[in-house]
Amino acid sequence: MPERLSDYSLQKKIVQGRNGGLHKVGVIGAGSMGQEIIRIISGQGIEVVYIDMTEELLVEIRKSIEKQLDEIINKWGITSSEKRAIMSRIKGSTDYNDIRDCDLIIETIHRKGRGTSLQDRKEVFRKVEAIIDTRTVIASNNATLMISDLASALRHPERAVGFNFITPVSKVGIVEVIRGLDTNDGSFDFAIRFIKMLDKRPITLNESLGNISTRLIVTLINEACEILMEGVASINCIDDTMKLGYGLQLGPFELADRVGLDKVQKWMDNLYFEYGEQKFKPSPILKRLVRANHLGRKAGKGFYKYENGKIVSQAITTTDYI
Amino acid sequence: MNIIVINCGSSSIKYQLFDMTKNEVVARGLVDKIGLHGSYIKHERNDGDKVTLEGEIVDHQIGIEYMLGILISKKRGSIKSFEEIDAVGHRVVHGGEKFHASVLIDEQVMAGIKDCVDLAPLHNPPNLKGIYAMQSMLPNVPQVATFDTAFHQTMPDYTYMYAIPYSLYTKYGIRRYGFHGSSHRFVSNRAAKMLNTYLKKLRLITCHLGNGASITAIKDGGSMDTSMGLTPVEGLIMGTRTGDLDLGVLTYIMSKEEIGVPVANTLINKHSGMIGITGISSDMREIEKAAFEDNNERANLGLKMYHYRIKKYIGAYMAAMGGADAIVFTGGIGENAPDSREEICRGLEFAGIDFDLDKNAATRGKEAIISKDNSPVKVMVIPTNEELVIAEDTARIIKEIK
Repeated sequence: MPERLSDYSLQKKIVQGRNGGLHKVGVIGAGSMGQEIIRIISGQGIEVVYIDMTEELLVEIRKSIEKQLDEIINKWGITSSEKRAIMSRIKGSTDYNDIRDCDLIIETIHRKGRGTSLQDRKEVFRKVEAIIDTRTVIASNNATLMISDLASALRHPERAVGFNFITPVSKVGIVEVIRGLDTNDGSFDFAIRFIKMLDKRPITLNESLGNISTRLIVTLINEACEILMEGVASINCIDDTMKLGYGLQLGPFELADRVGLDKVQKWMDNLYFEYGEQKFKPSPILKRLVRANHLGRKAGKGFYKYENGKIVSQAITTTDYI
Repeated sequence: MNIIVINCGSSSIKYQLFDMTKNEVVARGLVDKIGLHGSYIKHERNDGDKVTLEGEIVDHQIGIEYMLGILISKKRGSIKSFEEIDAVGHRVVHGGEKFHASVLIDEQVMAGIKDCVDLAPLHNPPNLKGIYAMQSMLPNVPQVATFDTAFHQTMPDYTYMYAIPYSLYTKYGIRRYGFHGSSHRFVSNRAAKMLNTYLKKLRLITCHLGNGASITAIKDGGSMDTSMGLTPVEGLIMGTRTGDLDLGVLTYIMSKEEIGVPVANTLINKHSGMIGITGISSDMREIEKAAFEDNNERANLGLKMYHYRIKKYIGAYMAAMGGADAIVFTGGIGENAPDSREEICRGLEFAGIDFDLDKNAATRGKEAIISKDNSPVKVMVIPTNEELVIAEDTARIIKEIK
């Protein structure tokens, strides 16, 4: 029999294999948020398998992650040998079987266009559960869905938890960790431990559509749109008031542009649908910009105009909308 | 007397088993990638028996348990039972102002090491984990802590204070502490023996040149000044660290590149030094190859800067001590790079350094005096052995309590 490390164990309690360790994480769906999550998990020395639809996508995702890491190197964040180590721990696959031995699964699919992704995400949960061990925790990363809705697709709903990573993930120091109605203590504690391993502060909360972060931020953006529409003040003045007056890093319009106006509108739609409150109803300005495809920084135009990702001027004035 | 010497990093444990009666290392090894994928133990016995075993090692406790399991095993071991272990010596990076020498670990000492966590947030916590793990495995075996900073505690206040508001010193303990203490201490003691005199009578400049590098002025038997400061980033140019830098440069970079404190830390600790200047490598061998074989411009520049900085410090420390009796080279580069030693000592004849090119060229990784016989200031190469310092301190302290 070959020599094994366990031959030298002094106590019986050391067993080979899974004992609450966290060595490998499966990520389903690797859009821009998924890629950020993959990057920081691997950055902490944990292996990541990501699942996406086609081989072409897998290659594209890998290239995109490499590019992001190169940008971080250029900004002195990591070294090239750290990049090599990070990339060596990341594997892509189109086959769900490759996440079988993961210690945690994070669903982070995204759906282009309007409407909710609930059914797609439920389908992912079902597919994942069919493959993995009964104790493995399944998490969904999203801002405006209820984890209990997703958990209802599972035979073991007690293992479902919610995450809400906020972009840019590598700079934001918190992650919301959401407990659903059926989530048990073991799964919740495991999820908290995972977030701590990523060097982030876990913000623990009971499920509520929009969690803490999205509920608060969309009302701020909506009210800023109201002030703009009433012709009270310009975009610059509103943003500067919140930045310089209250110490926010970004003003409400800069923030909306950075998140993406389509995404902001989707958050508002979901919150309005759930709560039926006016404060969540997307502002007409926001809707007009989304219709015109002025989606914010990624489109080069939203509330502001951008060149190379930097603001050059306000894109609209109040009179445009009166 | 058998002593285990432990050096715990964030995800690794280096260990050596010393037989102090014979003054030799009986076995040594490395537990690596603790808590990560692909963790393993590499173990080597002094009779040449070697093994690498992979398996799950979730924390330092489990790593130490396997290490002890191997040490007492029939197949790979060197001792029959734990009874044969007389003491454990731990390397602890930061001892702050509390610890001036190695100490027997008790509750008070543990509290003291914890108090220094703020000063070495990356190093002291894993050191503590190693101590806890050993205490739980071998509760009746005495444990000793040896501090990297302890040797430098003899520095006078005018060399260790920074010219910042005094309240920041009293509030946070911000001052020069210095590192590589065990190494500077080891080579200075060896130098005194090789020169057949007492350390107290010597003025020494010890250059520890490895991937991290520091230089120390030793007078009256103790450290008088050293180049590393509150953190190991000050002083000499290193593989990836800046060494001395105008503080204004850092704040200017931070505002121009729009970076925060964590990234600024990475910039000065990982992207700078020799790799930053040359863009080739942090490894001196590769830089020398690029300079000598390809006449690479930046490799040449990097080497000039590297040597110049050390020369400047040697001059400064000679002035500080009113001269020097010997310059000592140690560490990977100090022991094995004759070209660097030659460049550093070039042109120092005015200060009494009469360098012997032939002796220097013939010396790699062994003790030697590489200055001419009648040189007023001796130049020496002394391979360092920090683990032996820890083992000897541990043995001495154990004998004292017995």
